[in-house]
Amino acid sequence: MNDRKTLTFAFMDPPFESERTVTFFRLLDAALEKDTHVRVFAYEGAVALAFAKQSPHGNAVHGRNTEEEAHPLTKDWIVALQQKARTKGLNFEWINCGLCVDERGVNDVIEDCGRGGPPDLWRYASQSFNTLTIGTR
Amino acid sequence: MKVLQVIDQAFRTTTEEQDDTILWLTQSMRGAGGNLTVLLSGHGVYYAVQQTPQPALTLASWSQTEPADITRDLNNLIESGVPVYAVTDDLEERGLSTRQFLPGVQAISRQSLVNLYESVDQVWQW
Amino acid sequence: MSNYLFIQSQDPFTEVRTEHQFALAGQLFDAGHNVQILLVQNGVIPARQGARSQHLDQLIEWGVPVLADDFSLQQRQISDDDLKDNIAVDSVDSVIDALLDGHKVIWN
Repeated sequence: MNDRKTLTFAFMDPPFESERTVTFFRLLDAALEKDTHVRVFAYEGAVALAFAKQSPHGNAVHGRNTEEEAHPLTKDWIVALQQKARTKGLNFEWINCGLCVDERGVNDVIEDCGRGGPPDLWRYASQSFNTLTIGTR
Repeated sequence: MKVLQVIDQAFRTTTEEQDDTILWLTQSMRGAGGNLTVLLSGHGVYYAVQQTPQPALTLASWSQTEPADITRDLNNLIESGVPVYAVTDDLEERGLSTRQFLPGVQAISRQSLVNLYESVDQVWQW
Repeated sequence: MSNYLFIQSQDPFTEVRTEHQFALAGQLFDAGHNVQILLVQNGVIPARQGARSQHLDQLIEWGVPVLADDFSLQQRQISDDDLKDNIAVDSVDSVIDALLDGHKVIWN
């Protein structure tokens, strides 16, 4: 299993704003599916992806209550990816830009999502086989 | 590892963050030993010809005291040894071809981007 | 010779920069590098037969491999039969493959 490679992803978009967020999570899932260790550096709005206080809601327009609507939450997607990585014996690391967290007040994050800064992106990328950055617009 | 930071946008969040967030990220990674080159393309070329700091925002009783200074940030990058390029075709498209470049910023044509992309290990498009 | 994968999420109908992005991919291909394009999100819209995108059509004509993301196609109900010739349906798996092969992978 030592030949498993590590990929780093840097991402900037918050939940619920952009199609990029969905593609980003699909990429992380695809990387794990291919037995790759994953490292994420969440920058700017992306630090809200791991915000623990995200909560699902019902939807009167859809005629469904909270349980029936089962609204997607990015924190749940991260948990699912963390679980998948554990099952496959892979590392799944996530660092939020700490200053980006502070200015948005999203300090309460789910487990195993850490706090850091741009030097961590460079460290992640330097130690990884390859890196993909996805800017926002 | 050598990385090309492509900054294709400009003035996105410069007021709220009091800098360009990718220029800031680049300075910070440079401080951590990053081997980086910056390419200003698209609206990003505006940064190569800035002459004054950004305007300070005032909203009701709130006034900004530390607006972004892109020129200072680019100067710091250049002084730290980060090569900074600006795409001449993008400057021309925006009517900026006669404006004076910030000292140290190097002009590059779209045609020459192939060589720049080839000179690095990774291209980080922002 | 280097290997490049451009992930093209922007489309030429709303983003003028797209034509420059396609042009850069063409220049790298012309210089002898292996260049591949994966269309994702609204980037798949010019992949449909009859969609007008001179720059993408030119890349296809030159022989640049163009892939289109299956999920993005499904969202827009674009089937295999709707695609222009020489555009293959693929998925974001191709991004991971390219990263793991050490290619330069660039998000547009």
